[in-house]
Amino acid sequence: MTRATPTGHRIRERRLALGLKQREVAATAGISPSYLNLIEHNRRAIGGALLSRLAAALRTDRAALAEEGDAELVDALQTLAGLRGTEARALDQAGDLARRHPGWARLLLSEAEENAAQSRRIDALTDRLTHDPTLAEAVHELMSSVSAVRSMASILAQTPEIDPNWLARFHVNLDEDSRRLAERADMVRGLFDARPALAETDLLPAETVARFLDAHGHRFDRLEDAGADAIPDLVAGIADPVAREMAADVLAGDAADAARLPRSVVMAAKTPADLFEAAEGDVALVLRRMGTRDPARGLLVCDAAGAVLRRKPVAGFPPSPVGAGCPLWPVYAALSAPGHLIDRTIEMPDGAAWQAQAIATLAPPVRFGQPSIVRATMLLTPVADASASGRAIPVGPGCRVCPRVDCPARREPGVLTARLDKVDDAMNTPPEPRPEGGQA
Amino acid sequence: MTDTTEPGPASGRPPGRVLLIEDEPNIATALGFILQRDGWQVSTHSDGATALDAVARHAPTVVVLDVMLPGRSGFDILSGIRSGPRPDLPVLMLTAKGQAKDRARAEALGVNRFMTKPFSNREILDAVRDLAAT
Repeated sequence: MTRATPTGHRIRERRLALGLKQREVAATAGISPSYLNLIEHNRRAIGGALLSRLAAALRTDRAALAEEGDAELVDALQTLAGLRGTEARALDQAGDLARRHPGWARLLLSEAEENAAQSRRIDALTDRLTHDPTLAEAVHELMSSVSAVRSMASILAQTPEIDPNWLARFHVNLDEDSRRLAERADMVRGLFDARPALAETDLLPAETVARFLDAHGHRFDRLEDAGADAIPDLVAGIADPVAREMAADVLAGDAADAARLPRSVVMAAKTPADLFEAAEGDVALVLRRMGTRDPARGLLVCDAAGAVLRRKPVAGFPPSPVGAGCPLWPVYAALSAPGHLIDRTIEMPDGAAWQAQAIATLAPPVRFGQPSIVRATMLLTPVADASASGRAIPVGPGCRVCPRVDCPARREPGVLTARLDKVDDAMNTPPEPRPEGGQA
Repeated sequence: MTDTTEPGPASGRPPGRVLLIEDEPNIATALGFILQRDGWQVSTHSDGATALDAVARHAPTVVVLDVMLPGRSGFDILSGIRSGPRPDLPVLMLTAKGQAKDRARAEALGVNRFMTKPFSNREILDAVRDLAAT
């Protein structure tokens, strides 16, 4: 089965390989045989919970059925459209767009990402103009000089008879303030020129670091082999010096983790529990190492304010690209009980189940009387057993893009509810059946 | 600290005194000149820390007060005036920042007029006259 094979064909090939009838698989997945027939012939977009149910019915996982990038592309398009308040019917067409014009779909997402980055940059510059004390002081000085020059120039231009002593005094003052004005204007220009990072990139430093980590899959083999000595080379390609330093800090942490829990030990483990002893009881270390080494696992680290410090995405668990995450994620519950492992099965709106293991740790204060710094780490492991969904805690990617209407933890209205209602309607009233002979 | 008094009224206006609390000497000089030519007796003061003493000493008709001053901010001085023996003394505040929050803070403290730099000489003269007439 090549990666270029459409999802529908993959489903069909898998079903035939197992020797199953369409009606058998359809019944297990909870849809009509005719609808499955349309899916198998790529006449209906497939993703979300239905893809998970079909994967379970065909005794495989979503990744094996989904055309490479398809599901992620559809998810990203629908999230983008949802954030823009696109009508439900258009949201339903995301699958068609991704399948028929993947290049254009990716271009759309790329442009949207660029647009979002520009907006964030404008926000950052606005913040800087408003709050930067150095810039505020420089502008204050500049405006004071402008005021003096304007006032004196008006006096000289509009006073018909002026005492020679005053005239001489104003001339001296005007010369003095015009020079000061030039110096202060140069200083303001220097403040902007001194920070080329913002002009070189549309991304904030934290975003640059996130992209850098994502591009490497959060896994750096050279750190395993050479330790922290490899860091300068690894981050050399990051142009923004602030982002480069931030990335180096992250990698220094990874190198220290690797020294404490070597790759060979991590790779031999099947579950986090297997590493407990080797990590000398440091559960957060175990979660970080499994999260960064295993491509099938996701990782999320946040601070006491819930701000995400590190997010390693994994297919099927797309955290909201805007705002905070889902308040029901165990990582937030862990913050209230540092040192205690929280181990829960959670279910995303698409029906996929995940084992979420989270723990918060306290870094000791640097001075007496200072607060401890709390950080929570969550490891996400896909749950292969479909029956786990039944006992899982329903969570989402974040309120704004979460379809769970009646969630008691919801803090703001979602934008995808209409789309999901529409999908449900389509599922309950499938199009005209065109089953293939003998199988439906 | 500088504390100077310009010559008295050059015109036949009713006597009135403006206390100009401003630490930029060239602005103080220019404003002092135009106010004096407009008929005001002008006193200037440049130090925020002793500005309230200057207010008590000069007994001005109107105070022109810069926000950014060494020693004590214009906001603190305004607050001191409002809680002092002449709480109704007209105050014109000048600032080079011009931020909405500064204006809101000044208004909350009871400023009579708030102007941002750069200002025109005419605006200053009109504002001082208006305040003196209230």
